[in-house]
Amino acid sequence: MSTTPVIEVEQLNVTYGDFHAVRDLSFQVRRGELYALLGTNGAGKTSTLETVEGHRTQTSGTVRVFGQSPRNRRAVRPRTGIMLQESGFTPDLTVTESVRLIGTLTRRTDRVERVLDIVGLTGKAGTKVSQLSGGEKRRLDFATAVYGGPELLFLDEPTTGLDIQSRDALWSTVDRLRENGTTVVLTTHYLEEAQQYADRIGLMHRGTFHREGTVAELTRALPAVIRFGLPAPAPALPLPAMRERDGRYLVETFGLQKDLYTLLRWAEDHGLELRELAAGPTGLDDVFRALGDA
Amino acid sequence: MLSIALSELIQVFRNRLVLVTSFVIPVVVSAYFVYQHDVFAETASLGYIAAIVTFTVCAFGLYAGSVTTLASRRQNLFLKRLRSTAAGDAGILTGLVLPVTVVALVQVTTILTAFAMVTTAPKNVVLLVVAVLATVVMMVGLALATAGLTNSPEHAQVTTLPVTLGVIAVASWVGISGTDDLTLLKRLLPGGSATELVVNAWNGGTAMTDSLLLLAPTLAWVVVAAALAARLFRWEPRR
Repeated sequence: MSTTPVIEVEQLNVTYGDFHAVRDLSFQVRRGELYALLGTNGAGKTSTLETVEGHRTQTSGTVRVFGQSPRNRRAVRPRTGIMLQESGFTPDLTVTESVRLIGTLTRRTDRVERVLDIVGLTGKAGTKVSQLSGGEKRRLDFATAVYGGPELLFLDEPTTGLDIQSRDALWSTVDRLRENGTTVVLTTHYLEEAQQYADRIGLMHRGTFHREGTVAELTRALPAVIRFGLPAPAPALPLPAMRERDGRYLVETFGLQKDLYTLLRWAEDHGLELRELAAGPTGLDDVFRALGDA
Repeated sequence: MLSIALSELIQVFRNRLVLVTSFVIPVVVSAYFVYQHDVFAETASLGYIAAIVTFTVCAFGLYAGSVTTLASRRQNLFLKRLRSTAAGDAGILTGLVLPVTVVALVQVTTILTAFAMVTTAPKNVVLLVVAVLATVVMMVGLALATAGLTNSPEHAQVTTLPVTLGVIAVASWVGISGTDDLTLLKRLLPGGSATELVVNAWNGGTAMTDSLLLLAPTLAWVVVAAALAARLFRWEPRR
């Protein structure tokens, strides 16, 4: 097995007229990894993803997928499954016809029935695409992406518009593909998904990486948080805390265990109830909120 | 490419609007010209009827049909979907316009055969075939260029008008009045020399070398259309 990364991006720049969508971005995705590109709206995720998929030409920099230019469709696409952000199916074809057409064009081999079964669209096999719901279209899109078990899978906001069962089903399919060594590149608005499934995360902000690393690395760089409410009036707090808009208190700490103990003992000593007490590591939500403030 | 063409063919027959505007109407119009051939042959010639049939099918069925199809496939991101596979751009475009092109060729062949049976056979069949093929290629090229300027299938009803009405007008003008006056202008207009070629092939009486020279302007329009298409064609909707 080669150790060459599946995706190599070096000094990528994408501009539209005066707008610099991606600036000097470099990253690699190793074989078998699930890499999540996250970011605020307009952060440059889609521009980056579309360049790596081969849908867009970069302004400068190099992008290699399987050691090739992603625009070399004949070489790269038979090994790649792509789930686009917007479905892109033609309304007058049926579900089966759509999967068969796109599946055949990937040059991978598979059975349409098997793929429809995976995404739970067997009952809609003969239905025209124009009569599918939004969620069903997303599942159809996913079906064409996983047709023939690609080595590399791009998922652009795959679970947007899916109900919770479909979302779980999608992730269990991704898990099975990953057991067979499939590399996955993901963008999502659901931070808990990235937190749960991604090996590494590239957190984009204004066209460049704000942070990149494993979920643990990203959250470790930020303080843990304790939140609680107090009855008024209350004695002076034992720790520096911020008053949040809803009247609750927020403590940020790099020594969660020690500070939590201090707080609990103080409350016990004063006979106070800490309402809706919550303590834990910073989630990606907080990383995002920190970006918004930046 | 063939799988794309096959799926396009399925869609053409499922979409009644496309079926009627692109395939039924040209056949009805052509049938009328063939039926009334005595009247039209009096003002012009049998060759003119052959030319107007060819251009009616190529303008409404082939050209307008292709523009509508391409705009619609782009608008619902199907072109992007196709480009997410291993298929190349040339294969995708060929697959998309192939069914309409084949249907147009079948229509022209059938109508002209019927026309020949009720009147007289064309004097030069080879030349007629060359003329029809050159016209088809020119109209496909113009369709790709026009598709670049067309945002939606509805918009195609407007953007295709200049070319459809233009070539029909040119074919009628050249076919009825001949090219004895304003020769250069008539031959340089899109469809002008192709019309003369069809007329000559059907009526006969013209030297083969003179006729083949008429291919040059038609092929020049193919080059112009291809250059325009390369500049104007878009694969994704404007955001």
